[in-house]
Amino acid sequence: MSATLEDSLAILGQEVPLGLVDKALKELWGHDEVRTRASLMNFAIYSEDPASITPNTRLLEEITSEHACRGLLLLALPGGEPHARAWITAHCQLHDGHKSVCSEQISFVLEGGTMNQVRNIVFAHLDSDLPLVCWWQGDLSANFSERFYSVMDMLFIDSSSWKNPAHDFAVLAGALEQSTARFRVYDLSWLRSHLFRTALASCFSNATALEELRHLQFVEITHSKGHRLAGLLIAAWIGVRLKCKLEASDGIKLVTPEGQSISVTLSESGEGEALQRIELRSANASLSVSRDCGAAYVCTTVQIGDHRHDQMLPADPVTDAAVISEQLSRLGGQSLYLQMVPMLRGMLR
Amino acid sequence: MSELENPFQETLIQRHRADSCTVVIFGATGDLTHRKLIPALYNLAAGGDLPQQFKVVGFARREKTDDEFRAELEESNKKNSRQGHDATLWASFSQNIDYHRSEFQDLAGYQSLKLLLEEFDKERGVPANRLFYLASAPEFFDQIMLMLRQSGLNEGVGGKWARVVCEKPFGKDLATARHLNEVVNATFHEKDTYRIDHYLGKETAQNIMVLRFANLMFEPNWNSRYIDHVQITCAENLGMEGGRGAYYDTAGALRDMVQNHLFQLLSLVAMEPPTDLSADSVRDEKVKVIRALRRYQGVDEVAKNIVRAQYIAGSVDGVERVGYRQEDRVNPKSMTECYVALRLFVNTWRWQGVPFYMRVGKQLPKKATEISVHFKYPPQAPFPTTLQRGTRNVLVIRIQPDEGISLRMLSKLPGVQLLLQPVKMDFRYSTSFGKASPEAYERLLLDAMAGDATLFARRDEVENAWSFIDEIEHAWHNDGPQPPMNEYPAGSWGPKEADDLLAADGRVWRRL
Repeated sequence: MSATLEDSLAILGQEVPLGLVDKALKELWGHDEVRTRASLMNFAIYSEDPASITPNTRLLEEITSEHACRGLLLLALPGGEPHARAWITAHCQLHDGHKSVCSEQISFVLEGGTMNQVRNIVFAHLDSDLPLVCWWQGDLSANFSERFYSVMDMLFIDSSSWKNPAHDFAVLAGALEQSTARFRVYDLSWLRSHLFRTALASCFSNATALEELRHLQFVEITHSKGHRLAGLLIAAWIGVRLKCKLEASDGIKLVTPEGQSISVTLSESGEGEALQRIELRSANASLSVSRDCGAAYVCTTVQIGDHRHDQMLPADPVTDAAVISEQLSRLGGQSLYLQMVPMLRGMLR
Repeated sequence: MSELENPFQETLIQRHRADSCTVVIFGATGDLTHRKLIPALYNLAAGGDLPQQFKVVGFARREKTDDEFRAELEESNKKNSRQGHDATLWASFSQNIDYHRSEFQDLAGYQSLKLLLEEFDKERGVPANRLFYLASAPEFFDQIMLMLRQSGLNEGVGGKWARVVCEKPFGKDLATARHLNEVVNATFHEKDTYRIDHYLGKETAQNIMVLRFANLMFEPNWNSRYIDHVQITCAENLGMEGGRGAYYDTAGALRDMVQNHLFQLLSLVAMEPPTDLSADSVRDEKVKVIRALRRYQGVDEVAKNIVRAQYIAGSVDGVERVGYRQEDRVNPKSMTECYVALRLFVNTWRWQGVPFYMRVGKQLPKKATEISVHFKYPPQAPFPTTLQRGTRNVLVIRIQPDEGISLRMLSKLPGVQLLLQPVKMDFRYSTSFGKASPEAYERLLLDAMAGDATLFARRDEVENAWSFIDEIEHAWHNDGPQPPMNEYPAGSWGPKEADDLLAADGRVWRRL
């Protein structure tokens, strides 16, 4: 283990022997009359990045402020002799100004970690009867195996962080086809645009705007650096919702069931939030959502003929923890995302 | 693609989507508009839940400009908004607020309102729906309805809807409620009439049906075989502050709280499972509960089952309080109750013989609204302490504050002896879900715009409730002998007679 990693372990709290984690947790709460332990789920974060310890502890702390859970931090370091270490700590929040409500965090560093080791350690330390939510950070590596995902109830991924999205989407699709896979999948790259999409949907809240959809010719999506996949997800969403087929061409071309051709262009613009702007255009209308209203809001502009209407709507949260917290509050389904994946994979080819 | 289908809407989470509309608030300069309605609409805007091209028109009698009106609303929003106040969002939100000055009985004012709404529709390019919110004093309801009808504002334009939201009190007895219903229904269809009871917008009130019908473990025990009795308490630690005595002295606890809020809670606790969650299915079951209430006729029956009282001087939270009759704007000889305790029976198969005790009062030791379901003792009692006080299973649904649910059960005390001790399992919204719940008015306004009347009272609910209440009021205020008006010191848990009501049945009020 590197000295840098060893230094970062201090944030994980009290180191305990692996076999004594439960006993140590009981002692932690047994001596404390003031604090209340709360848990609605098991929330595991899996990472293979040695630098993730500190940011992931902070992320768990942020998530537990809204979602009481048993947090499990898993750092798997492939290579070397198998060796596991464990730590316990708690994240406490004041409620009503006086009551301290705490979520416990168990952290594991698994050197030479095989999937068997990861799975056995996670299984042994789940809060019973509560769902397992897993945030799998980074690529879907060899450790993403059936024995692990078969116990998950919810899986968070971030396809924007994948080095090879075509490969990882294939792995994901393969996992979802397994009869033992009962998890719902949530892609942060998709969730980050929830309110952006909501804003676009609200542009079509009347019959006049809806009529323009039949004549749609251009979709322009502007994304920030490194977030082309977020742009492609939006393009796939529009394609699926309009029941389009993806037509082979130099760029992205969608064809509606009525034969209307829609040209989709993606462009990159600077840093910041993944999606910067979407504009849908027909000969007579332009409907757009943009980041021109500051950090907390998006602007929608609907221009149909001479009528123009502008509105401010809330923007998506910025941090990953906030995006996950929002999703945990919404408990929404995943069906649309799964419907989009085939078209997205077509675009990635 | 269907002409009316928004293909992108499907991606949204399951929540009510409101159609584009203009909300007209009558009584727009009043307290309700400033403290509740505008902050609720602002918070809906902050959450992205308001429809595109949404407009608000404040209708009131005072002379003021749009800008003055917006400035006043901004000040109150800063104080009352649940999610704080963002100047940028307010600037965007408030540009859609207009002020319309008119007397409530002035037809010309409504005609000019109509022109204003038509002007908005021109700006939008399409006609919008219209929601009329009656936040004015109830004595103006008749006039407002008449004028809306005469001006044609009660009819939707271009296939759009026109709805009305009525604030409480919806009548002061059966006759006035029926009259109001007739006036309202002469102007709007019943399906477009939304009688608001903000208790139904509270998270915990909505959770009662979930608790009962989504958890198999409770419903099989939810009947006279297993439940000994139910208590519903609504305690307030305030009196007649802020000049509230003027209204309250004409109403009293029975009319002000029991007829609406407490009967709604009773209905949710005692109703049969609805066949589906449509507004009428739910309300069909709720109204059956009110219809099945055992009636109390005559002074003796009322006196035996219902206790009324007024507070006398005392102290709450260490602060000295005057008696009710000494309160500002209260008649010194008032015979209006500010505390009432009732023993009710729901005459259905499920609830035969199970008393529902209710109590509501002012100047009690603390603010708390809750429902407690007290289960019977086990049929066989092998343990020495099972028949002692405090050993029944009790399921408590806390409506406010500290919203949540707790369950009291018995557990063996650790040790060599077989001793039992009551323990409590506690679920608290604030602990389990870090996110604050929306205000009741946010949910209810959104529902009214989206056309979901589930959380609003239907005409028959209101009239059946008044029919029951009227019989008690008649017994209390008849010319002959009347049930006594009891007294309790401010800061106590009510009169001794209320304790006696339960003691006569071998029961006690739950300690809050």
